[in-house]
Amino acid sequence: MKGRSLIGATLALLACSLLLAACGSSGGGSSSSKSAGQTKGAKAVDPASIKNAKGNITYCAGKDTSGDLIEGIKNYNKKYAGQGLKVTLKEFPEAADEQRTQFIQRQRAKSGECDGFESDVIWTAEFASQKWLVDMSKYIDARKSEFVPSTLQSVTFDGKRWGSPRATDAGFLYYRTDAIKTPPTTWQQAYSEAKSSNPRGIAYQGGAYEGLTVHFLELAFAAGGKVISPDGKKSVFNSPQNLSALKFMVGGIKSGAAPKANTTYMEEPARRVFEAGKVAMMRNWPYAYALDQQAKAIKGKFKVEPLPAWQGGGKAGILGGHNMVISTYSKNPGATLKFIDYMTSAPVMKRNAVKYSKSPTLNATYDDAAVKKAIPFAPQLKQAVAQAQSRPVSPVYSLISEAIYKNVNAALSGSVTPEAAIKKADGQITKAIATF
Amino acid sequence: MEAASATGSVRAPARSKGIGEKKLAKLMLAPSMILIALVAAYPILYAVWLSMHDYSLVHPGLSRFDVFGNYKDALSSGEFWAAVRTTFIFTAVSVTLELVIGLAMAMAMHAAFRGQGVLRTVVLVPWAVLTVVTAFMWQGIFQSPLGLVPSVLDSIHVGQNIVWLGQKPYALIVLIVADTWKTAPFMALLLLAGLQVIPKDLYEAGKVDGASAWQRFVKITLPLLRPAILVALIFRTLDALRIFDLPFVLTKGAQGTTTLSLIAQQQLQNNGLIGLGSALSVLTFLIVMTVSLLYIRFVGGNIKAMTED
Repeated sequence: MKGRSLIGATLALLACSLLLAACGSSGGGSSSSKSAGQTKGAKAVDPASIKNAKGNITYCAGKDTSGDLIEGIKNYNKKYAGQGLKVTLKEFPEAADEQRTQFIQRQRAKSGECDGFESDVIWTAEFASQKWLVDMSKYIDARKSEFVPSTLQSVTFDGKRWGSPRATDAGFLYYRTDAIKTPPTTWQQAYSEAKSSNPRGIAYQGGAYEGLTVHFLELAFAAGGKVISPDGKKSVFNSPQNLSALKFMVGGIKSGAAPKANTTYMEEPARRVFEAGKVAMMRNWPYAYALDQQAKAIKGKFKVEPLPAWQGGGKAGILGGHNMVISTYSKNPGATLKFIDYMTSAPVMKRNAVKYSKSPTLNATYDDAAVKKAIPFAPQLKQAVAQAQSRPVSPVYSLISEAIYKNVNAALSGSVTPEAAIKKADGQITKAIATF
Repeated sequence: MEAASATGSVRAPARSKGIGEKKLAKLMLAPSMILIALVAAYPILYAVWLSMHDYSLVHPGLSRFDVFGNYKDALSSGEFWAAVRTTFIFTAVSVTLELVIGLAMAMAMHAAFRGQGVLRTVVLVPWAVLTVVTAFMWQGIFQSPLGLVPSVLDSIHVGQNIVWLGQKPYALIVLIVADTWKTAPFMALLLLAGLQVIPKDLYEAGKVDGASAWQRFVKITLPLLRPAILVALIFRTLDALRIFDLPFVLTKGAQGTTTLSLIAQQQLQNNGLIGLGSALSVLTFLIVMTVSLLYIRFVGGNIKAMTED
């Protein structure tokens, strides 16, 4: 081998390292000026347009792994074929980030390909701020009393409603009935019981990822903390409330109330530890309930409760789930709204809860006898969803979340003090907001 | 690689046979050069171009030309330098371990014995496993407290307080272990090829002269294996400097395991900061290129001299 060809080989290898940079970007920006996040002048849809709606529309959503959306569309098409209505499902990849990217690419190209889109609750504000969504205020406000109020919070941005909540989610406190005598009503009580129970400890999502942002905010919001100012223009993260929440978590790890390994856990590792009978409590989503019931070590020995309150503070939680939104580039917002109206109607919501264990967004569905039978924890779920709040509503949410989970994780693992972590996160959030 | 070696050989016939042939050579090279330009040069140049823009996906419409803005941001952030440090520590330690272990494996595979073919195949298995799968496997092994390693350590009452993936410096150690496990076989394969071209009579002559096994290894094997070692080192070093999948799965970059590729990906894909992310990619590119040029400068020439001897 000659020296020259070595250089060639090296350069070829190096080229690969840069391919990463080229993906994820497309076309240069247009010349439009920087928007201030206002939604003034956004297109609105009139609920009356449902009546005479006609035509074909495309609904874009992440891969439907449970099958409820596919069934819903099938039924809808059967029911309304005579009226000239048809919905086609366009499936995006399963990974959430990919779905977001796919939708953004279409909106930036002003493509009318997706008339409607299944938006994660954390993207709705971002999309609305870019003027990519149709204002659905009139429609939602007419149905306002039907929805669990917290779920409507996630479709609200700039005082308007940008979607219809289709499925929701909120964290639970799982606890072992054989180890914990009285279900804790406060986090402080939960930690002090977990410290001396047998088995010992509470498992939660403490790894450096979105799940930790969620769990930290569950505590911080309950303690009265906030992340950004109501207008979204300032970080208010460096507050005594947030600091006390973080100190509480760090103290829990130091005292043994929470295993140190929490700093590496996502949902699944936490679930496995709980199912192996190694901890007395766990913070997790409702999905773990059915799986836990099949675990030999804890079967029939655990219960769920909505997340406890903060001592001297309130109750909180973080809302998950999906909203159905209409693209501003849709040529048929009326027919899209009709489909959304169908999918978020009480009968469909009930079927999805019973058959697919999807957490409903309508008050009435939780009280339905069939739903209560299919989801034994329906009353707790309703409470958990009702007390939950949206994550910070901001177009730069992903940057804000990263600032939170990285610094909180560093504090939990003991490499920085809680004070330093909060301060650093605050600085990064301020910077993130400034980039917008 | 083709292109570079091909241009290297152009000169010789050109001198003897005149201008026509030279032109023809260029013409025949053109398709592959164009292909390389498309798949290699274009992305590189485009990344450089993007890195000179204040450009974010979060904010459509914003694309301001700012030559050094992103570079200033990147170089002044502690995160970048921490990533440089992590990447270099990871590379130095894992490549050294891989070389030592790979050499031992190669020597073992080189010795003639029954079942040699089977052993060679089995040894290569870790290398054939996808890196992401490897990462999940090691995550399972080290996950506290249910993983294999924490359970075993717990039963013998050692290191019970260590959270392998959640503590400095253990997280980085797990990363190095996983990488070494995966790529030592690759190193072994390259070295085995080198071992096989060393003439047997040299060893026999050494034996006749009374050289011990160690002396034969140091005086015969190592010097003659040098070209193979250098090629293997270059491949592994450049690969290790770009490490992404292992930390992405194992730790998401927590506890001092954020590597250069990982921060670039985070800014590009998670945060949509195309400008800053591209600048980080370009910086990674420059670092990797510098290291490879150093290799070529100091050892590439050696190889050339040796092979021409």
